[in-house]
Amino acid sequence: MPGGETSLISLSWQPVPGAPGARFYPIIRKIDTISSNSYLFQTDDVILLIDPGGVAEQSAQLALVIEEIREEHDRPVFVFLTHAHIDHFFGTQCIPAFAHPDVAVFAVQETGAAALERGDGKLTQADLLGQNISPVRIALPLITDERSGFFSVPISLAFSNGATVTITRGQTRGGLVQEIIQFGAGPSLEVYHTPGHSPDSICIRMGRLLCIGDVLFAANPGIAGICGWDQSALIRSLYGIEALIAEGGIDFVLPGHGRVITASDTGRMFAAIRTDALALENIAELNQERSIETAAFAEDCMEQVNELFTIMAGRLYYVSYVMEELGEEDVAAEVSRLINGDVIDELLEAFRSFADEHHKRSGVSIHLALKAGQVIAKLERSFDGAELVHIIDPGLARRAARLLSDYTTMLRGFSPPRELVEYDIVRHLEALVTGLSVPSCSDDDLLSSDDDHSTFTRLLLRRIGMQPLLSDVEFTFSSAEKHLVATFVHDDLTDLITYILEDLVGTGAEAIALQIKPDNKDAIITISGTGCTISDEMKTGAGFLGRLCNRAGGTLSFVTDGKGREYTIRIGGLL
Amino acid sequence: MEITTATRDGAIILSVAGRIDTATAPALEQAINKEIDIGNRKILLNFSAVTYISSGGLRVLLATAKKLKNPGDKYALCALAAEVNKILKLAGFTSIFSIYPSEGEALAGW
Repeated sequence: MPGGETSLISLSWQPVPGAPGARFYPIIRKIDTISSNSYLFQTDDVILLIDPGGVAEQSAQLALVIEEIREEHDRPVFVFLTHAHIDHFFGTQCIPAFAHPDVAVFAVQETGAAALERGDGKLTQADLLGQNISPVRIALPLITDERSGFFSVPISLAFSNGATVTITRGQTRGGLVQEIIQFGAGPSLEVYHTPGHSPDSICIRMGRLLCIGDVLFAANPGIAGICGWDQSALIRSLYGIEALIAEGGIDFVLPGHGRVITASDTGRMFAAIRTDALALENIAELNQERSIETAAFAEDCMEQVNELFTIMAGRLYYVSYVMEELGEEDVAAEVSRLINGDVIDELLEAFRSFADEHHKRSGVSIHLALKAGQVIAKLERSFDGAELVHIIDPGLARRAARLLSDYTTMLRGFSPPRELVEYDIVRHLEALVTGLSVPSCSDDDLLSSDDDHSTFTRLLLRRIGMQPLLSDVEFTFSSAEKHLVATFVHDDLTDLITYILEDLVGTGAEAIALQIKPDNKDAIITISGTGCTISDEMKTGAGFLGRLCNRAGGTLSFVTDGKGREYTIRIGGLL
Repeated sequence: MEITTATRDGAIILSVAGRIDTATAPALEQAINKEIDIGNRKILLNFSAVTYISSGGLRVLLATAKKLKNPGDKYALCALAAEVNKILKLAGFTSIFSIYPSEGEALAGW
């Protein structure tokens, strides 16, 4: 079984612990957003399929297994969904074995049941994932309002597949509404209402196994905020499930995606999810419009991240090379280890391949947004910005960290924090370009530290690693006024100007001029470069830079005459 | 990525086309090492058709610089696309080896 749990085996019948006579057959998939895991159970009385999955092949495979066991011993078939999201049931829509209630009775919590009956594209996430669903007949709605008045009173229901079931309503000690479903003399199934990820989420228990649907992922970026998601319900459900597991009697937790978990491992996981969920107040709904916007930002971000990480890794390799030339092999090796270039290259390559394939197949935006989120989370773990800033330009690491964090923030459903504050544009930009023109470590600093080897080495690394961006270019700074105060987002404007200057320097500009002047109530910042290469790939006023400028509080325009380039930033509201 | 090898004015010119990334950087390193191993000490990399270079590619360029630093050795790059040039420039590599606008200028200038 993937993930290391060896007590339960995927694609194989095995006894259900704590449920004499019951056996189960799990399909554990590699985690993706297309299809869930599936869990097929059989007792002497009934065949129960939990989450038939989002792809037809998986549902067809399950239909074959069901056919085989029905040939051995025919019994009624029920299909339970831990919730009515498309990745848990879509595979059944073109499989005849699941099409008729006389063959398979679908059982879903009543909110999800109603959504499936009307073919609701929002609650099922079909719209978000670019799919069309057909309405599904749900003969057994679960945890219904109608049965809420029959606490501890067994109710019998008969179905067209020949089954008669008895349902007894109750409540767990942790406050979860519960229904115990008895299909005959054999083991019963217990269903617990655990809304949050979706209003219809349920956990399903047989013996010492608990199927928990997608609660483990409910606070993840790109999942939290989907239609029907509810923060406070999720937190209550997490407490309820934890209490249920803490009572004992559950050995394994079977998630909707990913590996099976031992019950003892769940405490730490639930605590982490609860912490994440508590931080998700007032997040925006993750709908189709936001997923398109997020995917576009993802591609922008990844292009910049790719460039920044390659430059940072290259700069470290360069420092390491020079240190090796100086006979400082140990220091050289230490510097090389500060960034794991291979891992980063592989992650960036994985995203590029995914994005290429996505565009070829006209894939849905949410998949691209989620893939970027996955890659960015791994990138964040792959580099230590705090160490890097002692050796290479802190602006590189800072911009990379800001891009990663802005993307995660956006994927989570928050707006990246932007603080519009009054600043003197002239002084701010003068300080910025001065910082980009002089070495961060002077000759005097180096000479005065030569008695202390470690201080000398540290300064030498800085001297080698932090090459002033504007040191080899003819650079002029001018302003029509001594002070021009306007409101803008300091960090975004700093990043914008740095990106533009880097692009001009990197593409070979011989001379760069930065001019500031007022124009009525606006401040105009013009950055022009001459002698630089003009290419299709150069940064223009559109795309990433344009959006960054808008976030900074301004607008960006761009012109080129074939020999040079000029960027104009207009910031309104001069004070 | 494709590499074609030619000899001109006593130098080996490796013309590279495509992306130099995790998957292709080892092939570039292998092609360069093959030339160095048979005694060719004047290597010019023509990157006119290189569209992308990853950090793995940068490492190959540095590893080559380490191998070709004896008196009489020659190692340079030429005809870089703007985006590739930008990466090399901002990573600081332009102070380790020379970058020329064209093959002709490289062979005349080194």
